[in-house]
Amino acid sequence: MAREITYVEAIAEALDEELSRDDDVILFGEDVEEFGGNFGETEGLYEKHGRDRVRNTPLSEIGIAGMALGAAVGGVRPVAELQFADFAATAGDEVFNQIPKQPYVSGGQIEAPLTIFAPSGAGIGAGAQHSQSVHSWLGNVPGWVVVTATTPYDAKGLFKSAIRDDNPVFFLPHKMLSETKGEVPDEEYTLPLGEAAVEEEGEDVTVVATQLMFHRAKEAAAEVDADVEIVNPRTFAPLDTETIAESVRKTGRLVVVDETVERYGTQGHIANEIVENDFFSLDAPPKTIGVKDVPIPLSPPLEQEVLPSADRIADGIESLF
Amino acid sequence: MTRNISVDDETARRFLEEMLRIDVFEEETKDRFGEGEIPGFVHLSGGHEGSHVGMGAAMRDEDWLAVGGARLIGQYIAKGVPLPEIMAELYGRVDGSNKGHGGQMHVSDVDRKLYGHAATIGSGQNPAVGLALAEEMKGTDNVAVTTIGDGGTSRGSFHTALVFAAYWDLPVVFVIENNQWAISTPSESLPPDSLSDYGIPHNMPTESIDGSDVEEVYRAVSDAIERARNGEGPSVIESRVVRLVPHFEGDKETYRDEEEYERLKEEKDPIENYRERLIENDVVTEAEIEDMIANIETEVEEAVEFARESPEPEPEAAYEHVYRMPLYGQGE
Repeated sequence: MAREITYVEAIAEALDEELSRDDDVILFGEDVEEFGGNFGETEGLYEKHGRDRVRNTPLSEIGIAGMALGAAVGGVRPVAELQFADFAATAGDEVFNQIPKQPYVSGGQIEAPLTIFAPSGAGIGAGAQHSQSVHSWLGNVPGWVVVTATTPYDAKGLFKSAIRDDNPVFFLPHKMLSETKGEVPDEEYTLPLGEAAVEEEGEDVTVVATQLMFHRAKEAAAEVDADVEIVNPRTFAPLDTETIAESVRKTGRLVVVDETVERYGTQGHIANEIVENDFFSLDAPPKTIGVKDVPIPLSPPLEQEVLPSADRIADGIESLF
Repeated sequence: MTRNISVDDETARRFLEEMLRIDVFEEETKDRFGEGEIPGFVHLSGGHEGSHVGMGAAMRDEDWLAVGGARLIGQYIAKGVPLPEIMAELYGRVDGSNKGHGGQMHVSDVDRKLYGHAATIGSGQNPAVGLALAEEMKGTDNVAVTTIGDGGTSRGSFHTALVFAAYWDLPVVFVIENNQWAISTPSESLPPDSLSDYGIPHNMPTESIDGSDVEEVYRAVSDAIERARNGEGPSVIESRVVRLVPHFEGDKETYRDEEEYERLKEEKDPIENYRERLIENDVVTEAEIEDMIANIETEVEEAVEFARESPEPEPEAAYEHVYRMPLYGQGE
């Protein structure tokens, strides 16, 4: 059986179930207790699981991320929330130098089974420092498993797997999707990390897209005169290149849409994987579409200008034929 | 003459022996680095030996040590990591504690509760707070001890760690080894009278001690650990030491006043001072110390041999330990 719930309810359910399942799981971050998180994602958890397991922290991402690392090494499974994905930068040393590298430099002795989750993405007029998509920053540092979520089904199943995984995982829901609804099974489930999903089958062109861009790619697919296959990578690092390559071998065309900036974004990496390894499966040069190379502006018309729109995606698809 | 030794004779001899072990190991490290056998940087502990040994002796095996600051090797030894494993790691060999993936700045030994070192100075304190949180959640009375130098206390991450440790009253002991130099920047220009004063606004017990006196360090760190074990929360200790070596091997130390340097070597060498003190108090004889040194030299030679004979890692090993695979649910 399945029911319709919102994306943010799916996140709260994942946390609730994992806190109940495993005594080693601990949730901390700013305003996760009575306040319930900025988007309602931790609502009710403190009341149910108590202050030992669900803890407010002082306002410092350095402390949240650094402490998560130590707690994970010490044998618990921290789930640490940063209120916005942009704040990966305010815990820069922890996020880029410490967490992804300590297991490696220890020669595999140190195990850091922690999850940082942080709402990412633009679209709500939150401005340049609360709207970024940071998975290209994180994907650039080997050691992080970087996971995004596109639907409530994704959000719940991937978040639960992130918490159970023995690697440091950065889980990035999208704030614009918080109130979107989707079917989620009643019964317990998880989704595999490191595996992309072919969400829509098609014969003419492969579009790779997640989060908000997935939904816009679907709109674009309805507009164009082509049979579009949509692949949702789910995990950006490590990337399931094989599922994408297999799709391109079938369709011969590739469009990658993502909310990272076009300059050094994930789009380029994904396209490059296909160009280098599967060049002769391509019937046209791959097309990459991302956020224009500017900080995210505040005013809604400016913000929408720089984000990939369904029209831009549709134009991108059509440019390949 | 009144006895000025605060520990029993056996402990006192152990303190001296452990300081000598650091000294001999590091002198050999310096030579092996000079001969090009050890890659990378080498930072030695000269002048810090009393601080390292006193702290190590105050800890139980089950307590975590998160090493900070730039004086590292002596702390690894004080935490009980076997010399051959440390030396092989300095050489970058497969039998090193970290299989050659870490080197001098990242020796870790999780089984011995050595977390290792955050080589970006000042970033190891928040993980130490997390380690303390984990111990508390597991219901143990183990504590986390974390060290930092005077330079590292200028990092925001250090201050954040104090905030978090105080916020949850966690069992953490912050030891600041103030050797007066952040490479070439003098700590006397920092405003606090003592760097342990950084704990005052957080209502933590603070103490500033002569860190070149091994017994003083042992006492102060033992007291702080006992408070932490008893649920009385974190403490900050300033362990005032001198740096009797360059910041790293190769540092020409043009910023130091030579006369002052000579005076410090004369007055503040923790090993020389303790050696004299034990002899004056009839705890050991010169001959016994010479025996100790000879035994340690043999141990260190064996460690070097072990490192030299340990193979270089296969190049493919560079790809190991990035991820634990398969990822959760992958391939099912």
